[in-house]
Amino acid sequence: MPKRFTRAVFLSMMGGCAVAAVSGKFLLDALNARVKFPIRMLGPSMNRGHMIRDGKMPKAATDAERTKTRVTIIGGGMAGLSAGWWLKRNGFADFKILELENEVGGNSSFGKNGISAYPWGAHYVPLANPESEYVRMFFQELGVIQGVDANGLAIYNDLYMCHDPEERLLKDGSFQEGLVPRRGLQPSDKQEMRRFFEVMKRYRELVGRDGKPGFAIPLDLSSQDEELIALDRISMAEWMKQNKFLGKPIRWYVDYCCRDDYGSLPEHVSAWAGIHYFAGRKGVAANAEMNSVVTWPAGNGFLADKLREMLNGKIETGSAVFNVSSTETGATVSLFDVKENAAKIIECDYVIFAAPRFLARHLVSPTRRDETVSSPGISAHAERSQNEPLQEQFESAQYAPWMVANISLKRVPEGKGVGLAWDNVSFSSRSLGYVVATHQNITTQRDAPTVITYYYPMAQDEPSESRRILLERTAEDWSQLILADLEKMHNGITAEITAMDLWPWGHGMIRPSVGYIWGETRKVMKNSMGNVYFAHSDMSGISNFEEAQYQGIEAAKQVLARVMS
Amino acid sequence: MTYSLLITAFVISTCGLVYELIAGTVASYLLGDSVTQFSTVIGVYLFSMGIGSFLSRYVDKDIILKFIQVEMLVGLVGGCSAALLFMSFEHVENFRILLYALVTAIGVLVGLEIPLLMRILQDKLEFKELVSQVFTFDYVGALLASLLFPLLLVPYLGLIRSSFLFGIFNALVAVWTVHLFRNDVKGTFGLRSAAITVAIALSAGFVFSDQLMTWAESSTYQEPIIFSKSTPYQRIVITCKGKEVRLFLNGNLQFNSRDEYRYHEALVHPAMSSLKNPENILVLGGGDGMAVRELLKYPSVKTIQLVDLDPEMTKLFRAKGLLSQLNNDALSDPRVTVINQDAFVWLRKSKDKFDCAIIDFPDPSNFSLGKLYSDTFYKTVKRALKPGGVCVIQSTSPYFAKNSYWCVVNTLESVGFHTTPYHAYVPSFGDWGYVVASIDKFEHPAAYPANLRYVTDESFRQMLNFPPDMVATEKCVNKLNNQKLVHLFESEWGEYVETF
Ligand SMILES: Cc1cc2nc3c(=O)[nH]c(=O)nc-3n(C[C@H](O)[C@H](O)[C@H](O)COP(=O)(O)OP(=O)(O)OC[C@H]3O[C@@H](n4cnc5c(N)ncnc54)[C@H](O)[C@@H]3O)c2cc1C
Repeated sequence: MPKRFTRAVFLSMMGGCAVAAVSGKFLLDALNARVKFPIRMLGPSMNRGHMIRDGKMPKAATDAERTKTRVTIIGGGMAGLSAGWWLKRNGFADFKILELENEVGGNSSFGKNGISAYPWGAHYVPLANPESEYVRMFFQELGVIQGVDANGLAIYNDLYMCHDPEERLLKDGSFQEGLVPRRGLQPSDKQEMRRFFEVMKRYRELVGRDGKPGFAIPLDLSSQDEELIALDRISMAEWMKQNKFLGKPIRWYVDYCCRDDYGSLPEHVSAWAGIHYFAGRKGVAANAEMNSVVTWPAGNGFLADKLREMLNGKIETGSAVFNVSSTETGATVSLFDVKENAAKIIECDYVIFAAPRFLARHLVSPTRRDETVSSPGISAHAERSQNEPLQEQFESAQYAPWMVANISLKRVPEGKGVGLAWDNVSFSSRSLGYVVATHQNITTQRDAPTVITYYYPMAQDEPSESRRILLERTAEDWSQLILADLEKMHNGITAEITAMDLWPWGHGMIRPSVGYIWGETRKVMKNSMGNVYFAHSDMSGISNFEEAQYQGIEAAKQVLARVMS
Repeated sequence: MTYSLLITAFVISTCGLVYELIAGTVASYLLGDSVTQFSTVIGVYLFSMGIGSFLSRYVDKDIILKFIQVEMLVGLVGGCSAALLFMSFEHVENFRILLYALVTAIGVLVGLEIPLLMRILQDKLEFKELVSQVFTFDYVGALLASLLFPLLLVPYLGLIRSSFLFGIFNALVAVWTVHLFRNDVKGTFGLRSAAITVAIALSAGFVFSDQLMTWAESSTYQEPIIFSKSTPYQRIVITCKGKEVRLFLNGNLQFNSRDEYRYHEALVHPAMSSLKNPENILVLGGGDGMAVRELLKYPSVKTIQLVDLDPEMTKLFRAKGLLSQLNNDALSDPRVTVINQDAFVWLRKSKDKFDCAIIDFPDPSNFSLGKLYSDTFYKTVKRALKPGGVCVIQSTSPYFAKNSYWCVVNTLESVGFHTTPYHAYVPSFGDWGYVVASIDKFEHPAAYPANLRYVTDESFRQMLNFPPDMVATEKCVNKLNNQKLVHLFESEWGEYVETF
């Protein structure tokens, strides 16, 4: 038999088998990856929001229901609920909270199915700092903090503190403990990591010349030392460059943290905000290590739900406020009651505006004011026209869009390396990975079904462009993207999924852009307009529970002072 | 004849590809990381086929005979491959060596097939025709295999049956080839019977594959299995040889009827006998009822609540028979209430108070079990005890895992219990540790129930003594938010498993 022939046989057979094997494997995967579960696109009610923005809410009829209440709180997110909590706690009961959605909670809302409750947004709170007085007060009331030990340290409820293992990172094919990259580091990388954490430790312990902590929670209590404030005028990325943090591992870590806390890249947030993430948290507990967090299956939905219970009878859900006008003697609020399909009017002395701040431009506007509602006298007009340029600027304040998915699984996804943690992150993904809703359960069932909450901040593009993409993609598109990402973390996970719910957040989080936190815009945005006070985490420039609560309570305090006088 | 042989090419290429896919899939099931497993299996397989093709040049005579023999061998090796891999996984030291040896063997044999077949066809077709025809059939067969495998074989037959099935096809090709060349080869009868035997053997494997797998499992256990069941919570296996009954949960020995009295007497009596008239007792874990049997030796006992997650376990040990004989029908006693719930969840909700709690959980080998050894859990237990109440905790071996053992002791102390650590020798387990945790200072039992075989005043005093090699080198408290015990336990037992 001629030689050429043998080789030809060999080569073609090899080729044939390879092609067949690869296509066989491909088919096998395709079979497994066939989506066999329901996918639902949920999310905040876009059309209610858009109707308000575009002034398309039906006008109140002349005989519209008119009610009186002394204080109206607009928005039942953490800020609005906390404002109500404060008023009630101080013995003031004549108020109402109006919430657009059918449930309160806003960015801290939650869902529930047969397996578990799960968060739609906020999912944890770090241990409270010494200066975070309101947080501690609230936690004590809820039993999250159960007492203080002999050294004055708070004793937290063990069941609420995040159980070990807390975090794991998928890097180079297997999971490691913790999120700080550890495997495959050059000595120089390690050195850089160490230096970074030393610098952060110094910032954490730093006290400004005014005697205030360098980085406080809430951030308004931070030192105004010029040296520190200057950090707000450069980006985190710039600061990293200036301080020679150039290696890939440390840059990844900082990038991850900025996306995690602000939904933005280090290029887009100020160095002050970037450092605050590391230097702000100094909470300690009698029964936990530093850097611990409290969490619940419903995430911060647990807190929202407790507030809802406490404020029973004070909350009106399905109430879309579409106009607010400050008058000489008080304020008039027009709302559309979704359940009754009718516009209503509330006359009050004061308004706490705890809806996202950018909405004020559409809502607190005399030109859009319902004529039947308008009362004579000074409206918010004067203040607004004076604030107009800043208002414009605020409009350009950027909000990071997020996609959140809650995914039900037949059993927990383990993977190579260390076992399942609460927070599970992949080094190579643009998403933030997922948290496990059943992590805090005290059951011993093996292979039990679970729900994971997958977080994807759209940090790469311009926010407006990202928002367009976020809303344009169908449920099918999103599920494919998410599955592709999760499959890289856990091969074959698709076959374990029993349901996927999606929740797009168009304006997920305010972005602490360069100059925003300590610049003019925020200062002016915080000013009240006549009898309208502003309270929302937007007023802080960074979005988290502590800030939302602080803004809510501060506004409530101002209103209380005037009510009492 | 030519056409028949071309169909042969089609069949054997289908079989060849199926074996390769099976090896790749089994490897990714057992070893994980499917990309790596698939690429290395495919690589090794193709390379071995190259070796086979190369070796075919050394076959000079009796090509038809050799072809038939190769077919039988491929059928046998390939057909048994999946079963072999699954069954040996638990047993062989280095599974990868076996895997790649098997893949190589099949690859070499399959590599021989087509060249030999072509040489058989050499005189019957023109060269150009030969190549074109054989490869057409070869590739079509490959395509068929790659479609069949994921769509029909894996979902409907499973890997083990699929591999037997294709082995049978190879054997049938051998039978058929014998038939086609009955005039050209010598010893047709012998060849045909051999091929038919292979086919029958493989068919038997196909039919009895379930039994085969059960048998494979039982060979992990040294004794005959009399019961096995996978519940949503665990895999229960019970073996019996002579008078010895053993219970395994997830492959871990829970008791051996020969010496379990030592374990359970030591678990129950020091705590129970230290109390005046214990009435209300709680048992957490211990669904086998052995601890309850010991508890029923106290006439003062009025109620025993047994909380065990798995209803199958308690059902099994309550039903009259060999197993209920072991616990003296303890679970059918009117004083006993069985509660099939998660211990921690149930205890947090329960308002009952107990004189004594017997805590007999599996070792803290994972994070969810670790929660049952946390300070938070022990606080909950403490709340459920009456004034002066006691509890006792099985707490792994102070010899193999001394720091883990003392971590349990420390954790109990951290929530305000008085602790009395002790350990007993149970031949099936080795040196085993317990801790009595009491609200008041522990009082040594004045007397024990009559007829105990192991625990006496004297033997208990010996159990309290810890030699230097059981003294902790590390002190820690196990909390939900640090899971220190699981980390310790992993490293201590991991070390032990490695050195043996
Ligand atoms: C994906 C994601 C993850 C997060 N994770 C965390 C976390 O882990 N920890 C953390 O602390 N923070 C987290 N946050 C930040 C979160 O935004 C804050 O914790 C907090 O929930 C903000 O509360 P808020 O009240 O300031 O704002 P919002 O939650 O925005 O509340 C505003 C409320 O006003 C309502 N509203 C709007 N318009 C109207 C109208 N016209 N009429 C009536 N009501 C109206 C809205 O429906 C909403 O309920 C996360 C945010 C997102 C988006």
